[in-house]
Amino acid sequence: MSQNTDLLTLRSVSKSYGTVPVLHDIDLSVRDGEFLTVLGPSGSGKTTVLRLIGGLEPLTAGEIRLDGQDISRMPINKRPFNTVFQDYALFPHMTVSGNVGYGLSVRHVQRKEIARRVAEALELVQLGRFADRFPAQLSGGQRQRVALARALICQPRLILLDEPLAALDLELRRQMQEFLKSIQREIKTTFLFVTHDQEEAIGMADRICVMQAGHIRQLGTPHELYYKPNCEFVARFFGENNLVAGKLGPVQGEQRPIETALGRLICSISGQPHLKAAPDGASAFAAFRPEALHLADSTDGDNRFSGTIADLAFAGSSTVATITAGADTAAQRLRLRTPSRIDGSALRSGETVSLSFAPHEGHLVLA
Amino acid sequence: MNALPRPSTIFLAVITTLVAVLLYSPLFVPIVSSFFTISHGDVDWSSPTLSTYRALAENHDILAALRTTLIVGLCTVVLSVVSGTLLALYYHGRRSGRSILQFIIFLPFLMPPIISGLALLIFFREIGLERSLLTVVIGHTVFVLAIVYRTVLMRLQSMSRTLVEASYDLGATGWQTFWRIILPNLSSAMVGGAILAFALSFDETMITILVTGTQSTLPVRLWAMMRLGFSPDINALVALILMFTVLLCVLAARFLIPRQMATERS
Repeated sequence: MSQNTDLLTLRSVSKSYGTVPVLHDIDLSVRDGEFLTVLGPSGSGKTTVLRLIGGLEPLTAGEIRLDGQDISRMPINKRPFNTVFQDYALFPHMTVSGNVGYGLSVRHVQRKEIARRVAEALELVQLGRFADRFPAQLSGGQRQRVALARALICQPRLILLDEPLAALDLELRRQMQEFLKSIQREIKTTFLFVTHDQEEAIGMADRICVMQAGHIRQLGTPHELYYKPNCEFVARFFGENNLVAGKLGPVQGEQRPIETALGRLICSISGQPHLKAAPDGASAFAAFRPEALHLADSTDGDNRFSGTIADLAFAGSSTVATITAGADTAAQRLRLRTPSRIDGSALRSGETVSLSFAPHEGHLVLA
Repeated sequence: MNALPRPSTIFLAVITTLVAVLLYSPLFVPIVSSFFTISHGDVDWSSPTLSTYRALAENHDILAALRTTLIVGLCTVVLSVVSGTLLALYYHGRRSGRSILQFIIFLPFLMPPIISGLALLIFFREIGLERSLLTVVIGHTVFVLAIVYRTVLMRLQSMSRTLVEASYDLGATGWQTFWRIILPNLSSAMVGGAILAFALSFDETMITILVTGTQSTLPVRLWAMMRLGFSPDINALVALILMFTVLLCVLAARFLIPRQMATERS
C-alpha cells in the first residue's frame, strides 16, 4: 500500500445550495493510506467536501473518482466509505455492540462472524468491557470511540471524520488525537479528517488541505504550510505569523528582497517558482514567524530594524512580546516569541530594541 | 421558595390547598360513595359494601357496553396510530402543505364535539353509510388523530437527522433504515400516542351519541342510565372509568416524557 497512489480524486467539484455556491471548482487528491486533514474556518466548505465524498449530498458539478472509477452518482450506502459524525450519531436504542455491528448486520453477515468482528473492533478502541452499555451510559470520549469502531468495522477504503473532537474538553481531545493517529497507523486505512482547529491539524495530519470561502488555498505537509504558505490567507490562518507589506525587488538567486516600511527585507524563495516569476514592484508580504524574530546588536544592514516593546506576555515555556516597529506613520505590530527563563526575560516593556530575522527564515507571499 | 417571606409562604400554601380541595374533591365523591350503600337517595355512611360493584358486574347492558367500548377503542387506536404515523413521516421535513394539513387534523380536536359529530352524521347520511360501530370508529379516529400525529411528529423532530444518515452511511437500505432505526426510535411515542388515543376514545360521548347505531359505548350507556334516574351502580361505574383513565394517563406519560436514553444527544 504505497502512499503515492491516489485513492480518491475530486475533479472540478462544485456545490451550490439553491443559488448559493459553497464550493468552487475543487480539485483534490487523497492518497492511499494517508491522514489528510481538511482545515478551514467555519463556512469554508470543508464539511461540504466531506459530505460530497460520503455521498450525503449530490454534486452540483464535477466528478469524484475512486481508483479511477467515477463514483459521483453512486448511492451513499454503496460507497466503501464510512463516516464518524460530529455528534457521533450513535443509535440510542442499540447497545454498543449493536451499534458497532450494524454495518455488518445490514449486509447480512452471519451472526457468529459479526460477534467476532465486533469484539475485535471494540478491543481495538479499548471498549471491550462496554459492549452491553447503551450510548447514553457512556462518556463523550467513549462515544467517540464507539463511533470510530462502528465506522471501521466494515473495512472501508476511506474513513471520513467530521470534526469528531469538537465536543470534547482539551485534555481528552489531546488523548483522542494520539489515539486516532495510532489507530490509523495500525489499520492502515486512509483518514479524511475535517477540523477548524489548526493545532489538531498539525498534530495528526500527513497532509493538510487549507480551505477558505469554498476554495482550496493550499495542500501540503504541515511543515510546508507553516514555512512556505502560498498566500496571505494561509500565512495568517496557519499559526502565528508576522506579515509586513511591501514591493518586490529583483531576484537574487534563491532569495528576493522586498522594500517595506521596515526597510529592505531579504527572504528566501527557494522551491517556490511562482515567487521567482512575479514581476519586480509587485505587491507582496514578507512573512516571518514570531520565533524567527530575535534581538540584534544594531539596526544596520538588511533584515534589521528597531522597535518598541509594547507588551510582554508570559506563556509558560515561551514569552511573547508585542512590538511596535517602523516609523509612526507606518507602524507595524509584530510578535516575538522567545524561550522563557526562570530569572525573567531579557526584554523590558517600553524598551526600544534592535531586531532581525535570518533571510532563510523569512518567506514571501503575494498580496 | 426561600426568597419569599414566611407569612406569604403560609398564605400561598393555604390558598393552594383550598383551590385543590374545592376543584378536585367532587371527583372523589363518587369513588368514595361507591363503596357504601345508598338508601332513599342518601349515602349510608355506616355500612361499607361492594354491593354496587356486584350489581355492576351483573348488569348485562353495562358489560355489553364495556365490550363495545373496548372494540371501538382498539380499532380507533390501530387506525389512528397507523395513519397518524404515516402522516407524520410524510410531512416531516416537508414544508409545503404541512400547515394546511395540520390545521385540518387539529380541527375536529379543537371544535366543539357536537359540531364534529353533526358534520360526521351529515356526511355519513350523504354517502349512505349506515350508522354502526364502523361509523363510531371513524368518528373517534378523526377526533384523536391529532394527538397521535402530534406526538409522533414531535419525536421525529427531536430525532437527530444524522441517525438516518449514519444508517445509510453504514450500508443500510431505505427499508432497513426505516425498520431498524426510525421505527424503534418512534415506538415509545407511538405507544404513548396510542394510550392517549385509547383514553380519549374510551370516554368520548358526544360524537358517539350522534354517529352510533344500536350499540352504545360505556359513556353513552352511563348517560342513558342517568336519564332514567340515579342508581347506585352509576357510582361504581364512574369510579371504574375514572381509575382506568388515570391509569392510562400515567402510562402515557411514562412513554411520552422523554427518557434519558431517548433524548440525550448521543
